[in-house]
Amino acid sequence: MWSFYFNELMRSLPFFLKGLWMTVAVAGLSLIAATIIGFILGIVRASKNKILRSIIGAWVDLIRGTPFLVQVFIVFFILPSAGIELEAFPAAVIALSNMGASFICEIVASGILAVPQGQREAATASGLSSFQQLRFIVLPQAMRSIIPPLVGQYVLIIKDSSVVSAIGVVDVTRVGWLTVQRIPEGLMVFGLVGILYFAICYPLINLSNYMERRMTVTATRL
Amino acid sequence: MISFKNVNKWFGELHVLKDINLEVTHGEVVVVCGPSGSGKSTLIRCINRLEPIQKGELVIDNMNVHDKKINMTKIRAEIGFIFQSFNLYPHMTALENVTIAPIRVRKIPKEEAKKLGREILTRVGLGERIKSYPAQLSGGQQQRVAIARGLCMRPKIMLFDEPTSALDPEMINEVLDVMRDLAKGGMTMMVVTHEMGFAREVANRVVFMDDGKIIEVAPPKDFFINPQTDRGKFFLSSILKH
Repeated sequence: MWSFYFNELMRSLPFFLKGLWMTVAVAGLSLIAATIIGFILGIVRASKNKILRSIIGAWVDLIRGTPFLVQVFIVFFILPSAGIELEAFPAAVIALSNMGASFICEIVASGILAVPQGQREAATASGLSSFQQLRFIVLPQAMRSIIPPLVGQYVLIIKDSSVVSAIGVVDVTRVGWLTVQRIPEGLMVFGLVGILYFAICYPLINLSNYMERRMTVTATRL
Repeated sequence: MISFKNVNKWFGELHVLKDINLEVTHGEVVVVCGPSGSGKSTLIRCINRLEPIQKGELVIDNMNVHDKKINMTKIRAEIGFIFQSFNLYPHMTALENVTIAPIRVRKIPKEEAKKLGREILTRVGLGERIKSYPAQLSGGQQQRVAIARGLCMRPKIMLFDEPTSALDPEMINEVLDVMRDLAKGGMTMMVVTHEMGFAREVANRVVFMDDGKIIEVAPPKDFFINPQTDRGKFFLSSILKH
């Protein structure tokens, strides 16, 4: 019986790959949007403007303190009552981007604040503007401490994207749920789902580990 | 050139600069000395508004530095500042460190800035190290790059905040030599330092500070041989013991 189900599962592989492609699409778009938004918010969060820092801080705490599933439901089910109707795919990307941006914001802000104050003073004393200081002096140095956790955050976004199957996005997790209804071997089906997630996350995990080691060695040499 | 008029500064409740009145003329070398916490570093940091003041006026070439409407970029471009901890940009080579401000602030074309950078790095004895990163340089070399970084902006004034305090003794002279050359070349300089030999040799005046106030201002010859105040005498007796 087991070999029968295994063969059925292998015949369903194209369906899983289509689901995987949806996962890559949702996670990929969210990753890009979260990075852009997260960087902008992170730069503002590390600035001297107390009001903006507090507003962003409150938003970050709210997003990081609530379950992602709840956030997805709010975007998909609650927003229509405010007149904002969204299909499942855009709702998924918006919710995942929003969550990813909140974490990336903190990673970026921490990286910027970790650059020694003396660097900013030297740049200020030379007459460089705030924008020039950020672009030429602070951000290049901050990237050293931003990139490893940022890549790690990308892995988390990919894994968290599995939650969007709850609002009907046919990603690889949802394909798993649909398949297990006709191939009642949960371990086999979700084992395959796990392997497919691992296949896209593992290169990023390795990249994050490599970058962390490399940044540590470079920092030690300095 | 630099004029302090009743300058007062507080850090919160702490009154760190008290009724500072001081004039520094063009081409003058002024050494500022005093015990720790006397306000020496704060004094020079106020000149290019790295620290704001709360009362009084600080005027450079008829421009009130602490007026909120003033263009600080223009003023800072005329003032080189050398930090105790060098503050070189670690991700840039020596040449890049010294040329970034001329290119981005003075808008000098890149090739012209690089030529200037090479000349000035050679002048401070680092012509062979233009492609080195700060981590590859000794402390003395890093401080000389920092001085070159200031000089590449062709400033009118150079400020030094304890430039040799973070250096090993064998590297101090190489930095002081560069500073001596600058002084001989007519640069207007204010130097916070404990290097009394340098002060004796190069300074036009010594400003002695204690507890946020200027206690004594005198030519080095007069200050070191015959300090007028008890606090000045006590300070000199404690440092000259070493």
